[in-house]
Amino acid sequence: MGLPCGTHNYTYAQDMAIMRTKTHWALLIALLVLLFTFPLYGGGYWLGVANLIGITLIAAIGLNILLGYCGQLSIGHAGFIAVGAYTTAVLTNVFHLPFLVGLIAAGFIAGFIGLIFGIPSLRVKGFYLAIATIAAQFIIIWVINHLGITGGFMGIAVPQASIGGFVFDSEAKMFYLIMVIAVLCTFFAKNLARTRIGRAFVAVRDNDLAAEVMGVNLFYYKLLAFFIGCFLAGIAGALLAHWIGFMNTEQFTLSESILYIGMIIIGGLGTALGPIVGVIFIRLLQQVLTTIVLPLVEAAFPALPAGFTSGINPILFGVIIVLFLVLEPRGIAHRWTLFKAAYRLWPFSY
Amino acid sequence: MAQLTQFTITGITVGMVYALIGLCFALVWKSSGVANLAIGGLVLIFSWFTYGMVVQIGFPYWIGLPLVIIFALALGWLIERFALRPLIAQPILSLITVTLGIEFLLEGLTVFIWPWMVDALPPVFPPEPFHLGQAVVAQAYIWAAVVSLVLFGLLTAYFKYNKMGIAMRATADDQFAVQACGIPVTRIFSNAWMFACVVAAIAGILISWIGGLTYGLVETGLKSFSVVILGGLDSFIGCIIAGPIIGLAENIGGGYLTPFIWGGLKDIIPYIIIIIVLFIKPYGLFGEVRIERI
Repeated sequence: MGLPCGTHNYTYAQDMAIMRTKTHWALLIALLVLLFTFPLYGGGYWLGVANLIGITLIAAIGLNILLGYCGQLSIGHAGFIAVGAYTTAVLTNVFHLPFLVGLIAAGFIAGFIGLIFGIPSLRVKGFYLAIATIAAQFIIIWVINHLGITGGFMGIAVPQASIGGFVFDSEAKMFYLIMVIAVLCTFFAKNLARTRIGRAFVAVRDNDLAAEVMGVNLFYYKLLAFFIGCFLAGIAGALLAHWIGFMNTEQFTLSESILYIGMIIIGGLGTALGPIVGVIFIRLLQQVLTTIVLPLVEAAFPALPAGFTSGINPILFGVIIVLFLVLEPRGIAHRWTLFKAAYRLWPFSY
Repeated sequence: MAQLTQFTITGITVGMVYALIGLCFALVWKSSGVANLAIGGLVLIFSWFTYGMVVQIGFPYWIGLPLVIIFALALGWLIERFALRPLIAQPILSLITVTLGIEFLLEGLTVFIWPWMVDALPPVFPPEPFHLGQAVVAQAYIWAAVVSLVLFGLLTAYFKYNKMGIAMRATADDQFAVQACGIPVTRIFSNAWMFACVVAAIAGILISWIGGLTYGLVETGLKSFSVVILGGLDSFIGCIIAGPIIGLAENIGGGYLTPFIWGGLKDIIPYIIIIIVLFIKPYGLFGEVRIERI
């Protein structure tokens, strides 16, 4: 970690601080002010996009803890998000429980389902775990579709979120709810990575046998990673349910799960910045593509084949994932670190 | 009783095709240690490519099928050369994810070119079904099983007697030693992918003769992971035994249990088997148990 010229660490606390300089603090505060005043100048459409980005970010942070820090591959993340979404949908719609109960229960139930499918991770890893989580994805969606109480294929309506008497009935109100949770999650993830738990996760990721020899309890930490990752997925699912107001399982496909992995790989695995950059990149690209580029292209070339609109998305994202893995496997976050280093040392780059 | 025979025969024959798809996975895994999650996409795009050749362009099968094989070889080479080779010696996570990216790409391409999603290949087998006891089995099922078995035999012989096949087995065993012996490892990888694509193409054509062309083909590809998990990842014989087991479980279980549980159980049984196998015997029936050292 390079520090700006003239900045020295005199105490351990200073060395560990995330915000080291006044510029850091100024930038952080500016960013937060910019973020939380967004509804004032962002239009209704972009507010919706921002909400989607916030929700996706919460889930992606969960996946980053599981995959980026602890190295446990999960290709069923959309399934766990679905668990959260349907938990809160059933609790608030069928049992008329308050939103906060639904939100927290969504996190815990998704976490426990994650634990069940995480148990094979004790004996197998890599590909086997990938398959186990793909199986989880299909089994979860099948159960939801047939459970009855979840509305099955017809879907289920979800009431608006409310705390006390305050109802989050507009995009702007939802924006504040989502962003507060997203900022808290980012902060939580950043700090988690610096604690004993985070270091244990990294040790498990880099070499689980060596970690076990060093006294890291594999059983505990792998399952803990699954629990935290799926807990955050559940929270994201609950927010998604209350934001959209209607759930059916078509929103939680395997492609969505793959896209989540794509997001954190594009952003940068195992970094705090990674999920943020990756989520914004992918979601903005999706929105720009579907609302701006595609209509233009279609207007310019009326003779396009019928599959162009539905096919171009997966093609593009597939190519992006492959290209990033081949050309920059450490993601945009790594590029940003390189840029910062270059900027700090400029014009003497040594 | 007739029902049971029916389920059994359907199960075994469909299972043979699953085994073939599993074989396509094992080929790549055995030689290069890459977990190919793009099987669903491969099966899908080859089936639709066959449709494009045979129905849209109107070639007879005897021209169309060789063209599909050539396309499969080319696609396998392209995938290995431009997506997998730059990732040699990268962590397994990258290797798995890159195949997921390819899966995305292939599905997108198929939607792009053939957006109407459901169709059928022109039948090649006479429509009269076989009568086995009281069970009635369409000829396509029997032929699918026969072709699978023949292909399996050919591949086994290839790996046992052909020089390249032996080299591929050696690569699976120890890449460094093989390179030291002067065998071009990259060409082995490339060959493995080309073979795998051809096997996937044949499996795709067989399964679409049976069930028609839909996007369910992707799920057929995914389901066949249960074959490799149950049989053991690096075992050909495991594939050919586990395939019919999965097919039987799917058909008999789906046939008899659906009235008691929920619909669509048939499609979910392979995934339940995956979870059970991973809990009980994670390396499968015939898989090599890996002992790890630091």
